[in-house]
Amino acid sequence: MHRSLFALLLAALIPLSPAAAHHSFAAEFDLNQPVKLRGTVTKVDFMNPHSWIYMSVKKDDGTVEEWAVEGGTANTLFRMGVNKNSLPLGTEIIVDGYRARDGAMRANGRDITLPDGNKLFLGGSAPPQ
Amino acid sequence: MVSLPALAQSSGKKPNLSGMWQALNSANWELEAHAAEAGPTALGALAAVAPGPSVVVGGEIPYLPAALAKRKTNREQRWTADPEAKCFMPGVPRATYLPYPFQIVQGTDKTMISYEFADTVRLVHMKDPGPAPADSWMGWSVGHWEGDTLVVDVTAQNGDTWLDRSGNYHSDALHVVERYTLRSPDVLMYEATIEDPKVFSKAWTVRMPLYRRLDDGAQLMEFKCIPFTEHFLYDKVGR
Amino acid sequence: MLRTAITTVLICAAGSAAAQPAAPAKPAAKWTMPRLADGHPDFQGVWTNKTITPFDRPKELGNKEFFTADEAKAFVKKTLERNNRDNRTDDVSDVIGAYNAFWWDSGSALLPNMRTSIVVEPRNGQVPPLTAARAAAMAAQAQAVKVRCEKPGCAVSNFGTPAPSDEPQALDLMTRCISFGTVVPMLPTAYNNNYQIVQTEGMVAIDTEMVHQVRRIPTDGKPHLPATVRQWYGDPRGHWEGDTLVVESTNFSGQHFGRMTAADENLKVTERFTLVPPGILTYRFTVDDPTAWTAPWTGEIPLVPIDGMLYEYACHEGNRGMENILSGARKEMQKAGAK
Repeated sequence: MHRSLFALLLAALIPLSPAAAHHSFAAEFDLNQPVKLRGTVTKVDFMNPHSWIYMSVKKDDGTVEEWAVEGGTANTLFRMGVNKNSLPLGTEIIVDGYRARDGAMRANGRDITLPDGNKLFLGGSAPPQ
Repeated sequence: MVSLPALAQSSGKKPNLSGMWQALNSANWELEAHAAEAGPTALGALAAVAPGPSVVVGGEIPYLPAALAKRKTNREQRWTADPEAKCFMPGVPRATYLPYPFQIVQGTDKTMISYEFADTVRLVHMKDPGPAPADSWMGWSVGHWEGDTLVVDVTAQNGDTWLDRSGNYHSDALHVVERYTLRSPDVLMYEATIEDPKVFSKAWTVRMPLYRRLDDGAQLMEFKCIPFTEHFLYDKVGR
Repeated sequence: MLRTAITTVLICAAGSAAAQPAAPAKPAAKWTMPRLADGHPDFQGVWTNKTITPFDRPKELGNKEFFTADEAKAFVKKTLERNNRDNRTDDVSDVIGAYNAFWWDSGSALLPNMRTSIVVEPRNGQVPPLTAARAAAMAAQAQAVKVRCEKPGCAVSNFGTPAPSDEPQALDLMTRCISFGTVVPMLPTAYNNNYQIVQTEGMVAIDTEMVHQVRRIPTDGKPHLPATVRQWYGDPRGHWEGDTLVVESTNFSGQHFGRMTAADENLKVTERFTLVPPGILTYRFTVDDPTAWTAPWTGEIPLVPIDGMLYEYACHEGNRGMENILSGARKEMQKAGAK
């Protein structure tokens, strides 16, 4: 069942030619530290150069970690009708990404999905709703 | 040399505010009346706080009592915490009274205001585009004419700019209404009414003349200050 | 009611009918040149130059300047497939390239002029070679980076090669939020390839969304800044030749980016803007820098009007990535130093 989703963050990967670029994720995040996070949204900053989603992640041992997940430019989202109210706080999301090189609780959101499997990312062939 | 603006004609033609303008006061140091004050020791008198009268109508800014503590803290940290020192865009109305010029380009559906400092710019929409999608540093500006006055309604500014170098500040609830009226071909009267229920007990207004830059060769020049702030901002990171 | 639409946006997959349109908003039945009160053409509006037309002509096309309709279709299909592959490689490129066509704003269309490249002169569609001196200087810089990166504190840059990441001044201009594109000439960059033109008598202002960069172009005949004053994006001066706006930019400081990286302080850029039916702003630019390239080169990349607006792109203010990158590099260097 479709809820009001919104195409928000980072999506699948593509090797692109260097002419189109932005700051290097490889300088900020670590290939050797893949992470999978499941938690609830506590804050969203629609901003540039990168939007940020903050989430509370409950670990198996019951502790809670606060993570920051980096996304893309807010302007692209605004053009699609996304605004600061589009991602309700408390939404549960699953993030597949890479952890920050300095070990902090930060990740780049390579894939973001909802618990029912719907993707919050661009990559499918589903038509615009 | 830019052509002189047309003052209002009896035919109802709009004034043309286009051109290069600059404030000539010490409002950016401090909005309220203030005496001169020392700057950082290492700079001697170069960065001393210049004295000046208040640009606030009525003299003082009506802070909520609980909001004054933050102004005090800001002021104590002014040399490191002021977003202007970080080369951040200054927000509205501070952009108007920075000690640097700006250019008004009065187009058809948009009035562009391009500020010299930090490549700051805002587009005033002369047809209402609807609400802002999110907050921004220079806010969301919608303009219309009331007679010969350009009125600009500014919403959706984030809470991260200061109103001057002395720690006067606001929150993300800030709402500003500006009024630009030509007093003569080379003097533009500026008023900005400021409301912010999280910080101030009532609305208040700043008022000042803006002067057309008439010097030969005057033009906005590049003031790209990011390289000047990188050591300031990042030397301590990770160390 | 709130527009909480969604948005699983279609990635203009090859052959899909739901491709994003890059065409002008509304072709008029009979187009007439819009003019300001002073009689000059009115260029005001929001424009984009996003395109998948390649910058240099693919070598296999030789001197072929234009696609046929069929060739264009095939080219678009191939390009979009390549750009949208979900390519999980388990190596560092998986981290670098964590964007797909949703974010890369090249759209899905070739330029309306059906050219095989943005570069049109030299006739082979390739930027001329660098001068020997410039090539040597750039090679020396690359070598210095290589040597530096034998020590810790480097990371794979977005270009796939190691580069220092422990000092802001060592990082690229994009990471520093100083420049995301060329600005002059107007070449498309990664995304938000939008420009707002606002015009009044004696002044044409072009606001480049990336990164809120305004070019204020006087058309009143005032002279350039003195030669001793250099600026990142130079100093533009415009004049009208009939209905064409000609802009000449000089006084460059020598710090350039992207396709213009090889340029130095001797750069001069000449641009020509002309409105043509059905409302496209043709844009032709010539790059002339005799100490960098062995010949001037010229490109064409029409600007297409869009419904919509520019949004603020405040980069430096939100540049948390810079802190994160420096933090990562410096911690690694500390660890290595402590060994």
